[in-house]
Amino acid sequence: MRYLRRRLGLFVLTLWAALTVNFVIPRVMPGNEAQAVLGTMRNVNPAALHALELQFGVNVHQNIFVAYFHYLGNCVTGQFGVTVQNVPVMSEITSKLPWTLGLVGVTTVLAFVIGTFVGVISAWRRGGRIDAVLPPSLFILSAIPVFFIGLLLIYVFAVKLNWLPLGSNYTIGATPEFSPSFIWDVLKHALLPAISLTVVTAGLWVYSMRNNMITTIEEDYVKMGTAKGLPSRRVMFDYAARNAILPNLTGFAMQLGYVLGGAIVIEYLFSYPGLGYLFFTASTDHDLPLMQGLFLFYTLAVLVCVLLADVATALLDPRTREA
Amino acid sequence: MSMKRFKWVILSAVVGVLVAACGGSSSSSSSTTSSTSGNTGKIGGKLVIDNVYGGTWPCQFNPFVAANEGPGITFALIYEPLQFVNILQSNNPPVPMLATSSQWSSDFKTLTFTIRNGIKWSDGKPFTAQDVVYTFNAMKSDKAIDINALWSADGGPLTSVALKGSDQVVLTFNAPSQPYFYFVADLTPIIPQHIWSTLNQSKLHSYGDSQPVGTGPYMVSSCSPQNIKYQRNPNYWQSTSGHPVPAIKEIDYPAFLSNTPGNLFLSQGQAQWGGQYIPNVQSFYVGKDPGHRHIWYPPVLNVALVPNLENALLGKLAVRQAISYALDKATIARLGEGGQQQPANQTGVITPTFNSWVDSSLTQPGYDPAKAQQILSSAGFKKGSDGIYRSPSGQPLSFTIKTISGYSDWDQSLQIITQELKAVGIAVTVQDENSTPYTADLQGGKFQLAYAGSGGPAAAPGPSPYYELRGWLFGGNIGSTNYSRYKNASADALFNQYGGASHAQQVQIIHQIQKLMLDDLPFIPTTEGVDWYQYDTTNIGGWPTEANPYAQPSPYSFPDNGQVVTHLYPTG
Amino acid sequence: MAVTDIAAAAQPDALEVSVRSRRLLRAILRNRKATVGALILLLMVFVAAFPGLIANHPPQAPLYRANAGPSSSHLLGTTQLGQDVFSQLVWGTRLTLIVTLVVSAIATLISMIIGVTAAYLGGVTDRTLTVVTDVFLIIPVLPLLILLSAYLSPSVTSLIIVLTVTSWAFQARQLRSQGLSLRNRDFLVAARVRGERPMYIILVEIVPTMTSLLVASFLALAVFEVGFAASLQFLGLGNSSELMWGTMLYNAQQAAALESGNALWALAPGAAVALMGAGFALVNFAFDEIGNPALRPVRRRRRARTAA
Repeated sequence: MRYLRRRLGLFVLTLWAALTVNFVIPRVMPGNEAQAVLGTMRNVNPAALHALELQFGVNVHQNIFVAYFHYLGNCVTGQFGVTVQNVPVMSEITSKLPWTLGLVGVTTVLAFVIGTFVGVISAWRRGGRIDAVLPPSLFILSAIPVFFIGLLLIYVFAVKLNWLPLGSNYTIGATPEFSPSFIWDVLKHALLPAISLTVVTAGLWVYSMRNNMITTIEEDYVKMGTAKGLPSRRVMFDYAARNAILPNLTGFAMQLGYVLGGAIVIEYLFSYPGLGYLFFTASTDHDLPLMQGLFLFYTLAVLVCVLLADVATALLDPRTREA
Repeated sequence: MSMKRFKWVILSAVVGVLVAACGGSSSSSSSTTSSTSGNTGKIGGKLVIDNVYGGTWPCQFNPFVAANEGPGITFALIYEPLQFVNILQSNNPPVPMLATSSQWSSDFKTLTFTIRNGIKWSDGKPFTAQDVVYTFNAMKSDKAIDINALWSADGGPLTSVALKGSDQVVLTFNAPSQPYFYFVADLTPIIPQHIWSTLNQSKLHSYGDSQPVGTGPYMVSSCSPQNIKYQRNPNYWQSTSGHPVPAIKEIDYPAFLSNTPGNLFLSQGQAQWGGQYIPNVQSFYVGKDPGHRHIWYPPVLNVALVPNLENALLGKLAVRQAISYALDKATIARLGEGGQQQPANQTGVITPTFNSWVDSSLTQPGYDPAKAQQILSSAGFKKGSDGIYRSPSGQPLSFTIKTISGYSDWDQSLQIITQELKAVGIAVTVQDENSTPYTADLQGGKFQLAYAGSGGPAAAPGPSPYYELRGWLFGGNIGSTNYSRYKNASADALFNQYGGASHAQQVQIIHQIQKLMLDDLPFIPTTEGVDWYQYDTTNIGGWPTEANPYAQPSPYSFPDNGQVVTHLYPTG
Repeated sequence: MAVTDIAAAAQPDALEVSVRSRRLLRAILRNRKATVGALILLLMVFVAAFPGLIANHPPQAPLYRANAGPSSSHLLGTTQLGQDVFSQLVWGTRLTLIVTLVVSAIATLISMIIGVTAAYLGGVTDRTLTVVTDVFLIIPVLPLLILLSAYLSPSVTSLIIVLTVTSWAFQARQLRSQGLSLRNRDFLVAARVRGERPMYIILVEIVPTMTSLLVASFLALAVFEVGFAASLQFLGLGNSSELMWGTMLYNAQQAAALESGNALWALAPGAAVALMGAGFALVNFAFDEIGNPALRPVRRRRRARTAA
């Protein structure tokens, strides 16, 4: 339990660091929201500068420490304000969340399952044909930037073959509803982004799983299982894999940040209106409230996953409890 | 599978992809204007707009919020102006809209509008002159909605707005204010008092207005983050039994996150009205159906190389003259902008749009690199061993040019400019910035050279060169759109006289400003920025064209978009 | 043991170091994956060093017919401005390779100093540095990169800074655990007894013995840095006038190259990035296997497992 307490402390500290980074960066860089609007909306009368500054509360000179504590307080109570489009930040996030969650959630689970499975099997049959081919190719695939896989898929399937749509999350002009045709439309649009993400992230876990498995296989209890005459598959999964996975869990959670980053690039490439694309436009629009809300959300997501992984490890692995 | 065979698999896959890639070809064709069939008075059809907004719709229609105003989703499809002023036909009188007529006092300090009778708001309540008075006074209650800075408290000349009789509105200014007609009559959306007066008057800018009530030709039938659906207003005031307006029954305005899907949507024929910058527009768009697909890019605002006059070297006239002679604007326009923009005039007057304002007795500097070097030598600059000129005190003519990152056409133009300047011994490096720090730096004078103008934060155009030139050159605009930080008392005096002058006098004033542009070279226009406009005549007619420029044609131009949708009709 | 014995204890001597590097080279040559990777990287270095030998057109000059397909004079066609894509690819190699190597090197250096210092000094320093490392590990990288890049003026220098700041934490943990395992080795005890300062011990005694691990960390980082840099530039957060593969991708994407029949302009630099990443990844396999004998491929010819 002391282990968990320490991890919780780390959690709070990281959260605080992320919030501070989020507060400091936009404030030390040149420009404000009014200038952002004038810079991006080409046909707005520049005489509107003063009105825009009033609208966004720019030039309200506030002691920076006072502003900081107000900011922290607002974050804790969930008040993130409104975006430059005048929409509450929370509702922007909650409306886009399902799309990113769907895309990232499904692909992460799929990638983890594939990567782990391949890692286990390759390690069990070391030197075999699977081991020689799959782990290296998956790893190389993960080294390829995710947008290139996306570009290739777009080029082959969307531009040349025209089998799948080019982007967006559903056909423009369609009405969202729970009908089979709409669901099919959504799935068609999600297919290429999902494949790109899965292909790239599967490779991240293959090697650590495989290497863990290889070291675990050397353990005595595994040899005991084989010696007892248990079927090979049973030993592979019940004895070796179960113990090999555990150190992986925390690493897996920590790499979630990398996956979320990949999702941002994929959403940009496919014009997929999820949280990632929102974050990207928020930073170019100098949309302070939205950026702060989103960055906090991202960090929180990773932290929660790491904490869950730690809890799971503590529960499943008695060795950590003995600390 | 052995490693070797595996490599062959990958290799052949890559080769396969490359072969498929080489199958792409481009076609080109010239665009022709097809004859439009007449308006038969039928109602029907659907218009799909293709303008990249860069995000999803917040489904709010408050016409004073820049995020809603910019893409043209609210003003003037839903809300309307008092009168419509067409920049492209500035010699024509304004088109009466909510106001049937207007009258200036002889000193141009009082403007009286006569408001049209018989108009109803889309919720059925009657529209009256009182709504107009309320609209202007609301900007006093909440300064954040005075987006044209009309009121004196916000730096404008407006001092009072009052009702006169039952159908007249009188605006009083504290100085002769003819140019303000444009902002008051054309650029102010009129809002319904009976709805807006019930809100917190000091926070009108926060009003979401998701179910807008306006006088305009369309109403919002549904809105999702990805698409706004409009339907025609059956009680629109311009409509008569024989001639229903608007004739197009529905409008779809999808939200595009970036140019690529937006351009593709247009090229696939899924939208008919585009406002996009398309790099290879002939092969990508027009060539796919040259009989029906057309483009027209009327020039409106300059794109320019802007020197910071407070920089010691750029403050010297000789250096600016040398830069001006070094630039081959025709090549910049042809290669940098792909021929989609025309070369600009050093006088700063956009032609052919403002031909009637041009002082033809002035000769403009041309492309003469030899003369550029000669000017530098005569001014005491000496060429160093690296080919770059140095001032007598040893400072090299080496500058950074700030531009907005992501503007590929500006980047291309700057590549050409860099080479042309290098050929006369001036070294420049391009510095990309995101648009917010770019705007901050330009307004704050934190740059040496900058590429600025149409497409970025710039002076707004109006129905004469006055508006743009005043933006660039008026001393009071330093910190806003006078990026060069040009300070010239005689220029300021000329601009101040314009508001009370007769039309002939105004033309003379603009002639004199042109001469100042040639003499002082406060900034160097390179190309003429345009309104991006693509249109498809397959099912819809009545489009604005070069032959019939009844409004600025882009879907994002307001309130011109209201003119366009009321002219369109279904064909076939 | 006597003090003199400790002082003369197992300090890695010159012979051992040279034997190790020869073993490294042999390991690379024997491992087929690593050989392929090394060849790819050598090719890249050659292209980066002598671009003029391979591409005979100037990369940025808009001299040719725009949007031309591949031909004998333009192997990969031309861009929308009329520039030769193949020349851009070739000339862009240099800056791309330099940025990757510089970022990986600096990040590895920082992570090594922090990791080893934490391991060696222990106590409060260790706990503080570990927490800092963990914080940087958890904060999602790309959102932080986007946040930083949106505000810094885009340039190669800011790209390097931003990538280094977000990457150094990746390897710090591993280097720390290696440092922990070395902490009580005899030669270090000897140095402590001699009275050397901690910083000296870290930099002069510990670091040289971790060379292979450092190289492995460097390579592991390099695999992903190429992709990170290209991704940032692809999103438009780099300086589009600097010639790198990532900026080529950005320009191609802005010009809708894939959809305009100009696909090679987008696919070629992407493939190049993938190739460089693959090269580093392949060489990285060899290092994994050198470092951990258990991971070495099982050969039919029974070779004795040589300890590292």
